[in-house]
Amino acid sequence: MNISYDWLIEYLDLNLSPRELAKYFDQIGLMVEAVKEIDGDTVYEIETYANRPDTLGHLGVARELAALFGLPLKSPSWPLAELDRLTTELVDIQVLDSQLCPRYCGLVVKGVQVGPSPEWLKRRIEAVGLRPINNVVDISNYVCFSLGQPLHTFDFSQLKEARIIVRRARKGETLRTLDGQLLELTPDMLVIADESKPVALAGIIGGEESGISEKTTDVFIESANFDPVSIRLTAKKLGLMTDASYRFERGVDINAAPLGAKMAASLLGQFGGKASRGLLDVYPNPRKPKSVPLRLKRVGELLGIEIPEEFVVRTLTALGLKLNEQKPGVWVTEIPSFRVDLEREADLIEEIARFFGYDRIPTEVTPARSFELPADERQDCLWLLKEILFHYGFDEVINFSFGDREKEKIWHTGYDPIELQNPISSRASILRTSLLPGLVENTVWNYNREADGVHIFETGKIYFWEEDGKQREEWHLGLLTSGQREAKTWNQPARETDYFFLKGAIEDLFFYLGYEAPSFEPEDHSFFQTGQAVKISIKKEPVGYLGLLKSEIRQAYGLDKLAYGAEFNLEVLFDRQPRPFAFAPVPRFPGVVRDLSFLVDSTINFQDIYSQLKKLNVPYLERFEIYDRFEGESLAPNQVSYSVRFFFRHESRTLQAEEVDRAMLDIISQLKSSLKIQLR
Amino acid sequence: MSSLQEKLEQYRQLFNDLAAKTKNSKEVEELKQTFLGRKKGYLTLLFDELKQLPPDDKRSAGEALNKFKTEIQQALSELEERCRRPEAEKPPTDLTLPGKKIYWGAPHPLTLFQKKIEKIFVSMGFSVEEGPEIETDYYNFEALNFPPYHPARDSWDTLYINDKLLLRTHTSPVQIRVMEKKKPPIRIIIPGKVYRRETPDPTHLPMFHQVEGLVVDRGITFAHLKGTLDYFIKALFGEKIKIRFRPSFFPFTEPSAEVDIECLACHGQDAQCRVCGGTGWKEILGAGLVDPQVFKNVNIDPEKYSGWAFGLGIDRTAMLAYEIPEMRYFYENDLRFLRQFNRK
Repeated sequence: MNISYDWLIEYLDLNLSPRELAKYFDQIGLMVEAVKEIDGDTVYEIETYANRPDTLGHLGVARELAALFGLPLKSPSWPLAELDRLTTELVDIQVLDSQLCPRYCGLVVKGVQVGPSPEWLKRRIEAVGLRPINNVVDISNYVCFSLGQPLHTFDFSQLKEARIIVRRARKGETLRTLDGQLLELTPDMLVIADESKPVALAGIIGGEESGISEKTTDVFIESANFDPVSIRLTAKKLGLMTDASYRFERGVDINAAPLGAKMAASLLGQFGGKASRGLLDVYPNPRKPKSVPLRLKRVGELLGIEIPEEFVVRTLTALGLKLNEQKPGVWVTEIPSFRVDLEREADLIEEIARFFGYDRIPTEVTPARSFELPADERQDCLWLLKEILFHYGFDEVINFSFGDREKEKIWHTGYDPIELQNPISSRASILRTSLLPGLVENTVWNYNREADGVHIFETGKIYFWEEDGKQREEWHLGLLTSGQREAKTWNQPARETDYFFLKGAIEDLFFYLGYEAPSFEPEDHSFFQTGQAVKISIKKEPVGYLGLLKSEIRQAYGLDKLAYGAEFNLEVLFDRQPRPFAFAPVPRFPGVVRDLSFLVDSTINFQDIYSQLKKLNVPYLERFEIYDRFEGESLAPNQVSYSVRFFFRHESRTLQAEEVDRAMLDIISQLKSSLKIQLR
Repeated sequence: MSSLQEKLEQYRQLFNDLAAKTKNSKEVEELKQTFLGRKKGYLTLLFDELKQLPPDDKRSAGEALNKFKTEIQQALSELEERCRRPEAEKPPTDLTLPGKKIYWGAPHPLTLFQKKIEKIFVSMGFSVEEGPEIETDYYNFEALNFPPYHPARDSWDTLYINDKLLLRTHTSPVQIRVMEKKKPPIRIIIPGKVYRRETPDPTHLPMFHQVEGLVVDRGITFAHLKGTLDYFIKALFGEKIKIRFRPSFFPFTEPSAEVDIECLACHGQDAQCRVCGGTGWKEILGAGLVDPQVFKNVNIDPEKYSGWAFGLGIDRTAMLAYEIPEMRYFYENDLRFLRQFNRK
């Protein structure tokens, strides 16, 4: 809202320069976003709030400043040049829906000479950012930006049978607006009609036919009040927003209507206009002023400082409230009709704080009566997870939660995506169902900008419809590694990333987070090359997958280099208790180490061998390490050689060589039967 | 007995000589077979000899033999290791050459900044809560005292999923969710992603991050809100930062405030400043005392309890702190941008 300094002067005698005034607006919450000089006037662009329609006119803003500075508010008088005929003789007004139109005031002004506005009026109109049109239209805007009361002026001669009917639109009715649009009206919309058809969309925009033209001489002034919700619904439905609708949907002062009509009629008098006698005021259910209780004690309790009673009374009175004291420090206040926002004691306390000055309220530490233990360890767990990945050299990325429906189709994520009703663009029309598409886009972006390798991860949610039709959001972790991992240096060649780098990071993730080691089973997946993917599970429960990205997917994104990706459901992890940590005593007796090299059939994979070794039931066996593996060379094509180092220990004495020999024999015989090993 | 000891000494010498000559893993394997071969390895043969010794000598000789075997095994595995890394060169003579580096990944600046914020509040006894990003109209608006069809909703331009569901436009619905299930005292912060139907520009994107704070207890005042935010902002931006509280409007707080900090780019010295538009101030958060209607909506008696709440845009505040001119940098994920935050 643009507020003009010169215009404010119409309502109060400010003894501050326009520059100095600016900082006082901020203090009472009328935030100045910009200050402009327009034609010698200073114009403040002020941020107004949805609950303060009173500040959408200069009178309302002047009232705030008057309260702040303790200045009287001037009320200019609006003398009328009157006809000898009564308004009721000239025009017939019927309000058929007093719910949607609680008050309707009208006056007829005859003999107006339509033409350009005088300079003073043009300056006012330009100050608020409008274009001067003609004196009649400019006057109605002047009233609107003074009182916050929108007006509409009709060419009286165009109103059939001199009738105004405020009613809901009928099915099939249309209206051509002042700006030439043809609106199709529906029965939920309120219109101003004459005998035959709608002439204006109530509180939003007037019709072309009944608008003021050069030929107009007789003007009908409408100064009415309309239901905020109805105005908002109609304006939204038709995609219209006007200065009038903006004010009505916020709530216009029910008592401003008569003044608005008189003010316009008085100004039209300067152009030969003579007003009909007696304001026509249809106000069937006059509203009682709201009353709100206020306790001085409560003011201090909520603000944290005692506010003097005198200050409270003075400020609220200056703002137009009437205070009726019930007992010392307790009042029932009567709220003026222009303050639609004041309804509860808390609202009044805000007024007191605002004018007292937020900067004068002390700063104190918020006391705590108790501290609580964190509800869960998710946050810590998530941070630890990130630290492990930083250690592996993965950079963290954050992508938008939106997805491109078409692009996600290539991935076949298997989730039913959640679509947005009003997306920003068609490329962001769904919520993502996997983190990997974003990671691939990041990779391409960086390869296009000098990167030699990209190793990134993201933790964030994916979103989908569950089978029962409920929405679900799930925390995931996505990882991607591609290209060079270590640059060449004087003592080391460059190193490329590979599948096992990613797998190692994942294995360590589980280890350091305290979860048991997951199992990796080769299983094809829509994201990965056939035969180059594994499913990751904990205790048979799938938690994620890992593999070499499909070339079709890479092509679709223009990613030339190989990339390995992985994605996990973090909820499954976080729902599991990490293994409880317990200290284990450091061994006091020396252990014995024995190596064993053997051949197995190449169809048996590492994980099977590992799990058979894990299952070994042999006395004193403390742990084992698989330290070598090879195939080819001197071996038969269907054979793989493994070398395993076994560590034996007795907790309370030194082991005898014979005991270890026997244990080794035991191991060999167990492995012969489980894995059909051949000793080398 | 002595002969076995002597032999052992000879073998040790022999092993060391041969070991010094090995050049590749094949030769190491041969050396291994020579000494540890299952049938004809020198050591295997020595163990056979051991069996024939009288029991008295057996013990000490056995120990010596086992010690030797361990030595050889260790030496062999070291040799194997060395052969596997043919690159390993002799130590350089220039000791000023750069050392070996391990690259540590960079945290995303928003994660980093969020962590900073969390740390400050956690040190004041706040706990961290979370909530869903897909919300209902009730939690996102109605329970927060936004009447249906009220223009107040216009400032929270919403991305809708259907008539019932939307993407939360702020982290405030989590206030409601927490107050519904927990009785005061409440002392929490709520970080998370929020969504608005905004046309992208340097300071607006359809997704960004917020952190919400909420305190509910007996006797909470506006002075407490000021004190806590004052401490928080100073902890984040340094003790000398200028802070200003000014009246504002949010449906879910009453009285409401917006908090500005001095412009870190011009400190109020540049009337043409691009960061603050010449005002010298940058708005960083909205706050206020919890509106009594919000308390009523969650069955907390506003006569008994009071509280304060605030909401801060993490992205925009991080932009101020790190002097980042465009919000979209956060979501482009350019490694040349991200990796700078490795050192923050």
